[in-house]
Amino acid sequence: MSSQHPSIRNRLSLLSLSLLIVVANSWAQDEHYSAPRTINGQPDLQGVWANNSTTPLQRPEFFQDRATLTEEEYQRLLARAQEIETEGGDALFGDGFLNAVISGEVESYDPSTGNYDSSWMASRNIERRTSLIVDPPNGRLPAMRPAARELMAQQAQARRDGPSDSYTSRPLQERCITYGMPYMLAGYNSYYQVVQSATHVAIIQEMIHDVRLIPLDNSAHVDESIRLWHGDSRGYFDGDSLYIETRNFSDASIFMGARGNRVFKEKFTRISDDVLQYEFTMEDNDTWERPWTAIVNYTHSEDPIYEYACHEGNYALEGILSGARAEERMAAEQAR
Amino acid sequence: MSHLHCKASRLGILAGLFLSASLLSYSATLLAADRGDIPRTANGKADFNGLWQTIGNHHWGIEPHNARMGPDPQWAAIGAIPAGTGIVDGGHIPYTPEGRAKQQENQANWLAKDPVVKCYMPGVPRANYMPFPFQIVQSDEHIIMAYEFASANRIVYMDRPDFEAPIPSWMGHSLGHWEGDTLVIDVTEQMPDSWLDRSGNHHSEQLRVTERYTYLSQDVIQYEVTLTDPVVYTRPWKMTIPLYRRLDQNAQLLEFKCVEFAEELLYGHLVKGAQAQDEE
Repeated sequence: MSSQHPSIRNRLSLLSLSLLIVVANSWAQDEHYSAPRTINGQPDLQGVWANNSTTPLQRPEFFQDRATLTEEEYQRLLARAQEIETEGGDALFGDGFLNAVISGEVESYDPSTGNYDSSWMASRNIERRTSLIVDPPNGRLPAMRPAARELMAQQAQARRDGPSDSYTSRPLQERCITYGMPYMLAGYNSYYQVVQSATHVAIIQEMIHDVRLIPLDNSAHVDESIRLWHGDSRGYFDGDSLYIETRNFSDASIFMGARGNRVFKEKFTRISDDVLQYEFTMEDNDTWERPWTAIVNYTHSEDPIYEYACHEGNYALEGILSGARAEERMAAEQAR
Repeated sequence: MSHLHCKASRLGILAGLFLSASLLSYSATLLAADRGDIPRTANGKADFNGLWQTIGNHHWGIEPHNARMGPDPQWAAIGAIPAGTGIVDGGHIPYTPEGRAKQQENQANWLAKDPVVKCYMPGVPRANYMPFPFQIVQSDEHIIMAYEFASANRIVYMDRPDFEAPIPSWMGHSLGHWEGDTLVIDVTEQMPDSWLDRSGNHHSEQLRVTERYTYLSQDVIQYEVTLTDPVVYTRPWKMTIPLYRRLDQNAQLLEFKCVEFAEELLYGHLVKGAQAQDEE
């Protein structure tokens, strides 16, 4: 984003120079590990955590029913990843990394301007898993309900018809409103900080400086009429895990087609000093034929959270809209 | 009663009055802590966890000000600006002449120039007396202040006194420490663009803010904040204002992302067809 301070770019560049790839031989939970406790007796989940996994949300069809890579595939992945890193070129955020390795084709995150090169990339964690989705067992999203599919198609068509007619035509993240709940893109300022008190857990999300506040007091959710970009969360600790249920999303807070009626359940478990396992289940009978569950392994980061002052420096949105109007004026003049 | 005794009694009363007057604010500050009944964390620190908000019209003007007409006559009485006695110790901010002139220019063009109108993050201390609540989540190492307005927030580092600000930011760089039961936070490296209220009061990039949070009672924090900025002020100056715990049933921090309320102002003229409508 244009608002980002040059020193953040520098930080990312330095990271990319050092080594992009962190190899995770095993993310399996150590049965003997027990998270340290806070002064209030809660499992201590505090720290800065990064979602830099290369594992895609959905399993590429190439892997069919296999949830993990073979040793040979894994070694080939590491080697190919190293080559991609050495080659430089466009940045590979989110699912783009593994897709590029498998297909051999790099799909640019930003084909229109190409302004995201590999210096924007943070360290990526390479796992043996073939999808973040663990349920359904095929690692893929369940089938969408016809009405939800139709709604998504309409929205996609509207984006094609008038992508820059108005500020409301642009994606929510470009408008600096939200990167979604949950924010799923890996390797792009995907940092979170957890802070715990006796009564609340705060989860600071670097993207667009959001703080999720999770009361632990077993209180009722806000009134059904209150609808929120990030929903209304309630949580509790049980054993080594923090459980959160979030509802009261607004219909404008779209997540992969899901809207206001979704119920979002999360489980955070520290499975080692350096890994916070994040499991979530999306329940939305309006959108999918069944709930689905994914697991993301967040890794510990020594870096602090930066202020991502998105809206304050959002010259891009003004540029996109004024550019579109200028093109319209030129087209009108040529038509005369 | 002898004359001497009477004089001694009067002196005693006078001394008592003097002591009462001089210690009035001091005793109020110490009262809760002396009794030892302030909320405390498991390790005995003053516990500021909770939802907090100021009361009053200070967000309109931190200096004494009259009621005045609001910017839009359509809003009439409910859009008019209420009067306020101010929260600046001594009444007025000790601006340099240039600093005062800029404040007056800002005030004259308030609606066009106030960054908060555009939903920019308010900075510190303004965020603390906006007409919105903020939540404190306190651990030993970090204190999070999450503000409802614009989802602004800041991380107060309690265990890293040498941590230099990596970059200037809208909400600044906050390093905290304890002085007894008082939480002291030094805030530096704020963007020079933020204001102090809706009356054009301002600062430069050299602003240094020192905040002191002290319990007056279980549900009231005395918030004292000193602002130092050699570019626009002739000396450091202080504001004092209580923060009240939100005790209303079901009170919680909600969302006021607010970008979506500022977009028409910022980008409306660039929407398809807007210029044609203007020409009509």
